[in-house]
This record gives sequence, C-alpha cells and structure tokens, in this order.
Amino acid sequence: MSITTYTMPLGPVHVALEEPVYFNLTVEGENIKNVELTSGHVHRGMERLAMQRNLVKNVTLTERVCSLCSNSHSFTYCNVVENALNLEIPERAKYLRVMAEEIKRIASHLFNTAIQAHIAGFKSLFMHVMEVREIMQDVKETVYGNRMNLATNCIGGVKSDVDDELIEYILKQLDVIEPQLEELRDIFENNHIMLTRTKGLGLLPPEDAEALGVCGPVARGSGLRRDVRFDSPYAAYPNLEFDMIVEDGCCVHSRTMVRIRELFESMKLIRQCCERMPHGPVRAPMVQIPVTEAFAHTEAPRGEVAYYIRTNGSDTPARLKWRVPSYMNWKALGVMMRGCQIAEVALVLNSIDPCVSCTER
Amino acid sequence: MAGFLKVLFRNLLEGPSTDPFPLGPTRMEPERLRGKVVVDETLCMGCGICVYSCVAGAINIQHTEEGHTITIWHNACCRCASCKQFCPVHAITLVKDWHSAHEERDKYNVVEQKSIQYEPCSVCGKKIRPVPTEILKKLYVNNSDIDLEHVQHLCPACRQLEDARRSAGLPAAAEQPAVES
Repeated sequence: MSITTYTMPLGPVHVALEEPVYFNLTVEGENIKNVELTSGHVHRGMERLAMQRNLVKNVTLTERVCSLCSNSHSFTYCNVVENALNLEIPERAKYLRVMAEEIKRIASHLFNTAIQAHIAGFKSLFMHVMEVREIMQDVKETVYGNRMNLATNCIGGVKSDVDDELIEYILKQLDVIEPQLEELRDIFENNHIMLTRTKGLGLLPPEDAEALGVCGPVARGSGLRRDVRFDSPYAAYPNLEFDMIVEDGCCVHSRTMVRIRELFESMKLIRQCCERMPHGPVRAPMVQIPVTEAFAHTEAPRGEVAYYIRTNGSDTPARLKWRVPSYMNWKALGVMMRGCQIAEVALVLNSIDPCVSCTER
Repeated sequence: MAGFLKVLFRNLLEGPSTDPFPLGPTRMEPERLRGKVVVDETLCMGCGICVYSCVAGAINIQHTEEGHTITIWHNACCRCASCKQFCPVHAITLVKDWHSAHEERDKYNVVEQKSIQYEPCSVCGKKIRPVPTEILKKLYVNNSDIDLEHVQHLCPACRQLEDARRSAGLPAAAEQPAVES
C-alpha cells in the first residue's frame, strides 16, 4: 500500500438515500481502486415472519418488504401462491394487476429520477420531478386508497374493482402527466448539468453485466435485452403491446434514460389495460392447499423479483423465499465505482436504484 | 438549460402546488381513501375471519356467555383492508377519516370497540347472537312466507327444528317447551 492509498469508510447512514449501505472504499487520492460492500443493517427476518403467518396475512406482509416496489412483492407472492394452488385468476383481475403494477412503476421510476437530480445538486429539478410524480401519487390515492401500499392484490385476484368512472380518471391524469414527462425527458436528455454529472460515469460493460447477472434497468442500460415481462410473460402482459427499452451507453445517464423512456411504455400499458379490460369477476374462490412447491417471477421497477414457496398442506407456508433485483445489481457497484471519484459514489449508487430494505428484508 | 428555465418560470407563475393544510383544506380526500376501520355492531357476528386475516394482529374478539366484544387498535392497524374484504357480512368498512394524531397517554386507547349483547332464544332460552335482519333478508330471499322477526330470535338448533316442522307441515312451536336432547 503506497502512502496515497488508504481505505475510506462511507456510510452506512445516508449515502444516497435514507437507507443504510456501508462501503469500504480503497482510494488513491480521490480515485476509487476497490469497493467492498457490507450490508445487513436493516435485516428484519421477514422470511421467517412469513413462515409463521398464514397465506392470507402474507399478502400484506410481503407488501411491506419495500415501499417503492411494494405492489411487485404482493403481486409476485400472489402469483406464486396461485401457481402452488393451481388457481386460475379471472381475466379482469389480470388486467387490474398489470394496471396497478404499471402505475407503481411510473411513480418508482420518477422517484429514482428525482433523487438522481437531487444528488447531482440540481435541487430545483428534483422538486419539479417530485411534483410531477405527485400526479401519480394522487392516482394511487384515488383509485387504491393509499399513496404507497396499494393493497390491491389478494390470492385469487384483486381486492377491489376499478369502475368506469375511475378508469376515466386514470386516463385523464395520464393525459395531464404525459406532456410533463416529455418535458422531463427533454431535460434529462439535454440538460448540461445532468449530462456533465452522469454521462460516461459508472460504466458497466455488457460482459460484466452478463457475468454479474444484473437485471432491470441496470441490465437494459448496459445493452442487455432482459425483461421478465418479455422473457416469460405473466398476468395480462402477453395480451399487451409494448417495447423493451434498451440503451447501450452502459453509464449512469443511460440507466436514467432507460427509466425515463420506460415511463412512456408504462403509460401505453395502462392505457391498453383501460381499453381492453374485459368485464367480469375480479376474484377466484380459494381452493384446498396441497403439499407442493411453486415458483413465480415478475419484473419489478428495479428488475426481476422471484418468489419460491413450499407448502405443507396447512395454511402456513413451510418455506417462503424471495430474491430481489437489488441483490444482483449492487454487486455490480464494484465494477461501476472502480475509477470513479469519491464525490461520484452517491450518483453511481443511486443509478442502480438500490432497495436496501428489499435486499436485506 | 433553456428547457428547465421554462419550467422554472412556469412554476414560479403558478405558485405553490402544496395544500395549505392544516390552515386550509386539503384537496386529497378521495372516496376510496383507506382511513380508520369502523365496525358496524348491528352486523358483526363475531366469526373471527377478520382476526384470521389481520397481519398486524390489530383485531381481537372476546367471547363471553353474554356476548362478544370486537376491538381494533388503530395504532396497530396497517389499513390493508383484508378484514373488510373477508368479512362475510360486510360489517367492517374503512372510512375516509385519516386523522390519527392523539396524545401519547392515549396510545393504547385509540380503539374501535363494539360490544354485541346476546339475547335468549325465544324457545329454549339459550343465549344467542340474534341474526341481523339484513342477513336474514339475504338468507331467506326465496322464502317470503317466513316471519323474519320470529326466526331472528331462535337459536340454530331451534331454527332447525322449526324448519323441519315447517317442511313436514306441522304448526310452528314457538310456545312449546324445548326438546331436551
């Protein structure tokens, strides 16, 4: 170790978000040579909790694993239970689930984009993106009754129907938000401050991305065509048309652009859901629980969420296990941060849209 | 840069986008807002499915000879509306009221508590939960000849006997002593 090389602890409090990640950085002057990550600060033993509660309670429990992708967890959990029970959910419920998922995706991506501006020091843009996101928060509150935890999924379908009046409201709000999102896309694409801070920063070459098994916007920002909605379509996705957004810049900026362009795909999906949703029941009745195991995965805003369940014939799962996208994505931070400066750590960390509470559950 | 300056000026002209709450009204109080849980004591049968589905353990139902008491702790409730979804008699609703500020000393007392008194069966005298009229109307929707007021005050065993008598064409036995079994 030369005299200019030393280890620098960073975190665990408030590196980028108010979530704890602890970095041990080996730096040479201002430049990062090596990154070591320590986690486990917010481990709550949720898998164990899930194994002590019945299947119905776990819908609500899994929704509380994370806040921004809360709906993805209950969605995937319901999918895995339905796979285990061999339960076919009504068509209308499939569309309603996709609609809730995409509304959450817009809000989640906008949040990450806002934080990106915040870390870059562009506070007024941060405030503006959060204001635009508020439109989506209002939609969630009006349609589902809460700004974060929608509580819309239940085993066998969805808890409450969305009537025509609310669908009209959703479509109206989408028309309000669309021009504002276009404006945001333009700002993030061309704004000088954002470009200088993010373009070419935190490089993750496709080979490394492939080797590390990253997923979600991080993989798509490195040119990998990887999206569960395409690779193994679930719910109503096979009946809907949308594009996979891929950027090949491999940098922080291209990951941001993937998220911003995905907002428009999500809006396309919500509009299609509103249009094509068939009428009918929204819930299938519960069936007997067999001794079996099942697997389900979906595309959360951050990437692939996978759930595994093993039942023992009782109403309590013998094992419930889930893997979240941030787990693979934050391993990629080691590659991304190498060669960066200390001041850029927060920006690079935010570019993977880390969800620490998911990963450590 | 010009792109954002445009946004900046527009936002400046439009003024604040936040509500002046609590000094003024808030515009966000949608109909479907999941606020406090409310129990309708005229409907609650004390079946306990809400307790089964409540992940927060916020609901308790205490059964005694004289009746049952349902208690919901607002501070434990996570407002997931599972109880509302599973309640077979729709006795639980989530109202729009989201105000939950209270003093520290009241933290265990912020509850929704309803007691339901049982009444004696009009035939055998056993204490029962009289079936709510709303539910009877649904149960006997195809039997308009049945006197709901009378059936309401019968215990399940006496109701069964009554039903058997009616099917056999015998007169109702409201005044007869109960059959000891």
